[in-house]
Amino acid sequence: MPHKSSIIWLQGLTCNGNSHSFLNYAYMPSFAASFDMLYHPLWCGAEDFMSLLRSDETFDFLILEGALSHDERLIQRFNLPFYEILDTLAARAKYIICAGSCASFGGVFRLRDPEKITGALFSGKEKGGYWLERNNVINISGCPVHPRWLVETLLALHNGEKVLLDEFLRPKEVFSYLAHHGCLRNEYFEWKVDSKQLGQKEGCLFYDHGCLGPMSHANCNKILWNDVSSKTRAGSPCLGCTEFDFPRLALYETQKNMSLPQTPFGISKRAYYTLAGVAKSFKIERLEKKLIDEDN
Amino acid sequence: MKITKEIIQRIEGEATLELEWEKEQVSFAKIKFFNYRGIEEILKKRPLLDALALTPKVCGICSHSHAIASVLAIEECFKSAGESLHVNQKAKDIREIALNAEKIQNHIKWYFFTILPELKRVSDPTYKGNAFKEKQWFQAQRAIMDSLKMGAHFTGQWPHGSFVMAGGVTCDPLRSDLISAHGCLDAVIAFCEEHFYGMSLEEFLSFDSALQVMSVPSALSFGIDEMLKHGFDRLGRSFDRFLALGESFMYEGSLKASKTTVLGADVKYVHESLDHTFFADKNSGYTYSKSAMYKKSFCEVGPLSRLMVAKEPLMRDFHRRFKDAALTRVVARAVECAHLLWRTKALLQSIDLKEASLIPPKKEIHGLSGEGVGVIEAPRGSLIHHVVVHQGIIESYDIITPTVWNLGNGDKQNPSTAQKALIGLNSFTKADFVLKSFDVCSVCTTQ
Ligand code: SF4
Ligand code: SF4
Repeated sequence: MPHKSSIIWLQGLTCNGNSHSFLNYAYMPSFAASFDMLYHPLWCGAEDFMSLLRSDETFDFLILEGALSHDERLIQRFNLPFYEILDTLAARAKYIICAGSCASFGGVFRLRDPEKITGALFSGKEKGGYWLERNNVINISGCPVHPRWLVETLLALHNGEKVLLDEFLRPKEVFSYLAHHGCLRNEYFEWKVDSKQLGQKEGCLFYDHGCLGPMSHANCNKILWNDVSSKTRAGSPCLGCTEFDFPRLALYETQKNMSLPQTPFGISKRAYYTLAGVAKSFKIERLEKKLIDEDN
Repeated sequence: MKITKEIIQRIEGEATLELEWEKEQVSFAKIKFFNYRGIEEILKKRPLLDALALTPKVCGICSHSHAIASVLAIEECFKSAGESLHVNQKAKDIREIALNAEKIQNHIKWYFFTILPELKRVSDPTYKGNAFKEKQWFQAQRAIMDSLKMGAHFTGQWPHGSFVMAGGVTCDPLRSDLISAHGCLDAVIAFCEEHFYGMSLEEFLSFDSALQVMSVPSALSFGIDEMLKHGFDRLGRSFDRFLALGESFMYEGSLKASKTTVLGADVKYVHESLDHTFFADKNSGYTYSKSAMYKKSFCEVGPLSRLMVAKEPLMRDFHRRFKDAALTRVVARAVECAHLLWRTKALLQSIDLKEASLIPPKKEIHGLSGEGVGVIEAPRGSLIHHVVVHQGIIESYDIITPTVWNLGNGDKQNPSTAQKALIGLNSFTKADFVLKSFDVCSVCTTQ
């Protein structure tokens, strides 16, 4: 029998979206061959939670879903303050995996009370969340987490491989990409052709519709969602859900400075605007027309 | 009087059931939800459209439902400010396909991941559950995935896709998307025919007698047999009062039914109660869940209600035999799932891709003031969003989710639907199953 890694899955303040996203993993039997889910709040009956909590055995992965809080008036599980459960289990876990932006940075729910509601090691961008420090935490942000980001990270660790992390403790294999990479609207972005209105295949959503694809670290448009699509492919702007500042205010609007949009990640403002001006001066007929031209 | 407190596990989230016992029977029950996130508060002072992206975060299993309720509320805001938006049939169809995908996956997930293992546990308390262990679990998981993949051709992703916008939908699908989506749907249908119903979808949908369904070996008839064995054909009955406020292809308008009499309903008679919540009283409250009532009475919402107001023949027959027992409620999800599969197939075939996906409002959203209500039928029942907007900024946002209808907290004189269904039971095991027959969702209850 090959060795299996053990998982305990715990939910803080959450919508359960990461759990449901995980169920979209396409190769579940293969996942199950390498992992034992000792406890999952929604489906597993394999172990009794209270005996798991009271045992002193170590286990491999504590997966956290949802924002965290020390305030027992905000969250209890099993008639116990949530922090009691979390602290007990965290002490015995080899790795702590934050699944989703809430567990990573506090996410949407942090907005209600950023003092009391945080991610595991970060509160937004600031270091120091539920814990001040810990060296075994990996953040897999996203609202929700993509099932492949989660499973592939778990598998790499299970196989004893080193997972390289970025400054926000996110796996580089996923978060070195931008949501912009692989977007079908890239050519429109290059030539500064904006989408005239939503509901069309043509045009880029960066200039008027708030798309954060060029500043959001995630490979969604490379590996796609549900194997077939992504927000931008379905004509909706990237909301930047993998970043520490998600959700920004006015998600469907492009923040502009003197009527110029923000610059994409890693490009100097001046260079970008110069280049954009040049690109815009070309009128490329093909990009001005419908993608599928019925008259032709 | 004896009082017991039990944790309800393996639902969406977690609940505590506090049971009062008299003479070995449940005399009253309190259903407690103990975590709170506050989406309604988070939305205040944000630009109106942010609601489209943030309300789906109420619930990871019905995120499209929230997006659609939200866009309907926003479209009504335009109407209240004098601009009636025209939404093309294409956009309506896409919204419905997305919503159906969400309902289908919910029903399959719930039946195969919750109901079947729970029934096995009722028979054998040492049973450890089927997640990640049994072949059928993996087959069901694949069907769930395919159902959502079908929808994702239009919504970009599930959960938490954002594909709706005032005036239509944002996607502009190709014929190839339709064909691929159709392939996914056929895979789900094949799963349901082989495992869920044990016969072709068409045959299942032609039935009008419970006996026809029960005689064919399948996951559904297995569940029905088990429920009969443990008396769930008589247990878990509530008021026999049903409500379906959102539109459906199966009936017209908003309707309510008392037993089998169907009458019109209007969302204006809906009212929310804060009784027994921490919001009303920090100290004497005991839950974060509000309650919803129609003309001061608790009504059941969800698949059973939808099929009852639609006078669906098979469900009517189950109801004639078993009233609104736990068994009837469970079967309703399976029956609705079959109708949804059939309906979605028809939608994928008839949708007109030539129409525009979206006709944008003329009015500038930044200057928009008014209010709007969006009502839809989510997997678990009627979902209401009510927004008040001033100069494009949200002043207040109120969400009434399906579970606050079914799982609210009344008192001994006026118990909620689930409370009523629990009274008189003689064991926690039965109470646990009866509560679960409502497809409990603690996350949407405590948004
Ligand atoms: S729509 Fe967004 S992700 Fe796509 S090309 Fe434009 S900016 Fe990039
Ligand atoms: S496309 Fe943007 S909003 Fe969507 S998951 Fe990726 S980073 Fe998040």
